[in-house]
Amino acid sequence: MVEFQAVQQRGFHNYYDENGNIAGFEFKFVPRYYKGLWFTQCRFGNVEVDGEVYDRDCISIIYDGIAYSREELFDLKRYWQFRTPIVVRVPKKGGLSVGYHDVVMNFGWVLNYNGALEKEKDGSGLGNMAHMFGTKNERRMLLCR
Amino acid sequence: MTEIKKGHPSRGISVYSYQALLGRTMTLDDVFEEMHDTGATCFEFLTSYIEGYPNPSPKWVDHYWMLCEKYHMQPAELGHWCETHLHRGPKMSDEEIVEELKQDFRLANLLGFKSLRTKITCTNVLCDPEPGWQSYIEKALPYAEKYDVRMQNEVHLPTTLHTPHIREEYLDFIRRTGTDRFGFNIDFGTFQTRAAKGMEDNPMFHFDDVSKPEEIVEFLPYCWTCHTKFTYMDENCEETTIPYRQIIKLMIDNGWSGNLVSEYEGVLAYNSDKNIQEFAKAMVGIPEQVRRHQIMMKNILGY
Amino acid sequence: MSEKAATKGHPSRGISLYSYQSLLGKTMTLDDAFEEMYDTGATCFEFLTSYIEGYPNPSPKWVDHYWMLCEKYHLQPAELGHWCESHLHRGPKMSDEEIVEELKQDFRVANLLGFKTLRTKITCTNEICDPEPGWQSYIEKALPYAEKYDVRMQNEVHLPTTLHTPHIREEYLDFIRRTGTDRFGFNIDFGTFQTRAAKGMEDMPMFHFDDVSKPEEIVEFLPYCWTCHTKFTNMDENFEETTIPYREVIKLMIDHGWSGYLLSEYEGALRFKAENSVEDFANAMEGIPDQVRRHQIMMKNILGY
Repeated sequence: MVEFQAVQQRGFHNYYDENGNIAGFEFKFVPRYYKGLWFTQCRFGNVEVDGEVYDRDCISIIYDGIAYSREELFDLKRYWQFRTPIVVRVPKKGGLSVGYHDVVMNFGWVLNYNGALEKEKDGSGLGNMAHMFGTKNERRMLLCR
Repeated sequence: MTEIKKGHPSRGISVYSYQALLGRTMTLDDVFEEMHDTGATCFEFLTSYIEGYPNPSPKWVDHYWMLCEKYHMQPAELGHWCETHLHRGPKMSDEEIVEELKQDFRLANLLGFKSLRTKITCTNVLCDPEPGWQSYIEKALPYAEKYDVRMQNEVHLPTTLHTPHIREEYLDFIRRTGTDRFGFNIDFGTFQTRAAKGMEDNPMFHFDDVSKPEEIVEFLPYCWTCHTKFTYMDENCEETTIPYRQIIKLMIDNGWSGNLVSEYEGVLAYNSDKNIQEFAKAMVGIPEQVRRHQIMMKNILGY
Repeated sequence: MSEKAATKGHPSRGISLYSYQSLLGKTMTLDDAFEEMYDTGATCFEFLTSYIEGYPNPSPKWVDHYWMLCEKYHLQPAELGHWCESHLHRGPKMSDEEIVEELKQDFRVANLLGFKTLRTKITCTNEICDPEPGWQSYIEKALPYAEKYDVRMQNEVHLPTTLHTPHIREEYLDFIRRTGTDRFGFNIDFGTFQTRAAKGMEDMPMFHFDDVSKPEEIVEFLPYCWTCHTKFTNMDENFEETTIPYREVIKLMIDHGWSGYLLSEYEGALRFKAENSVEDFANAMEGIPDQVRRHQIMMKNILGY
């Protein structure tokens, strides 16, 4: 089961490199939308924590155990299963401190109805669904490790 | 003039009604058990609810059929999306689009669905289709025949049965090709005359130009499944903003025997991810709303 | 003359799955609970026999899945909560042999699932948990099997029971000393040290704090104690529990060389109210994992790891 929020607290922790040092933090994310999505139509944006911005081209998206860059996902003709979270992995030396953090995941997708077709054919934006659903997913979460 | 034999629509439910809870507090098994409780005999599924879509495992397919048998539920309609912009850059070629459609037709066939809600790419809120759709849909017709499925464009408010593209594009296509593999899923929301309780201040919905019940008659020959949409059922199991009895009488009197699938799309669903209290309300309220709607449908149909 | 200082203990920081019981099977699967525990940095856990699918005969498939979860989330089995049934059937109490058969079954399951300690619920006859007479007889007969399956039974000391409640010394401690066993002892629930109601629990008539255990009382029991419930009923937003002398009790344990398992066990208002209304359930859904996370942060602050 997933939590009802898009940004999941379950799975929110720092991650470690092979020497046991904190290399960054990660959390899980599952769109609130009522259907799954083709990864080719997904538009991943920046991550923000406590106001600090982590560029979308520096984060990894892990799906079914495989890590992808945002750019790689444009060519992944694979269906992101409904209510199946991805892991968003953000490198940050020393990681996040123990305690509460305001986490934002910016995310959009290409919607084929209820609006104009996506204008940015290079996929640099967040798709064309913002007018219906918004692209900012925010949650205050407690990090322990 | 011979009298038309009365129709006998099937009473069903769209799994979409429970989407706010699926994977959060309800498994697919839970949903089937819940639907069984209502006395519904058929259901709508979305491709997204197929585990491993577009290549479900034989294990999942077996489990799906086990659920259908255990809970006496017939597959009615599979909601799918006719993707034309899967990749960055220009629109896909007809051949590429048809390949995607074939994949969904095969799946629908595997899972027992005879009708599809086919979402054609639209370019505005009125759902005017992206130009050129006739070309690839026509190329897909032989495959719809092969896999025994019928594509249906959904007529969903703010689209009405008299929105120009319905007649000028879709009906024109059907008449020109003579196909019985393309038609309409008429969402009952298109007949809604005012906002239901809890939806009054939702700016997305306007009811100044809606479909009239009698408009449905002309479309019935091209219609196999309809969404019996509702946004609020009162405690007497009545829906008071859509002329349900009048429409269904017209359908039955005109010999229509398709699937009527209850589709909840009310305030509980819209608010469910706002905060934990709203989610909790949806958790309890949505299954209750569907149960109430099924009771109304049973009262109307007599079964 | 200086006494030789004991080597400091190094207790493990863990969680009781019971903390999540209001949510288990409703909004959380067992997999979810493991993932949730992993997030906290806990290294071990308590399970209840009830959470074993197919108990008392779990399938090899389930057992494999269980061990997969332990490995994936780096969690060690600490304690298995089980019930020493003596009245399974209508009519008279079961014979010692029948009771021991049931115990053996749980010992085997504990062994299969990697638990070295048990919270063994002996049938009690009143609120202070005075044991049903005759328990010594079947527990003594079960000792060789506890040895065989390498498990240690522990009677839980849970408020209103205190460490000076007569049966603790007169029955349980007496039994341990008489038999010389190291297979029977105490799970000391930290609630027994609680001095006043925590936030949200003020009007719960079940709980009284006029006669509770004193921290120093724990020392005598440490040799017979391998796992404790670090009970809590409310954690504030600064990751503090203010009604139980946590630091004092844990310092005593460490200074006396105690290296067992400390398992966070949430048993607060969110859990008691979870079934009252859908609003209360919503609060539990959000609040319980948060409470456990806060408690684990406090434990990390106290232990230093």
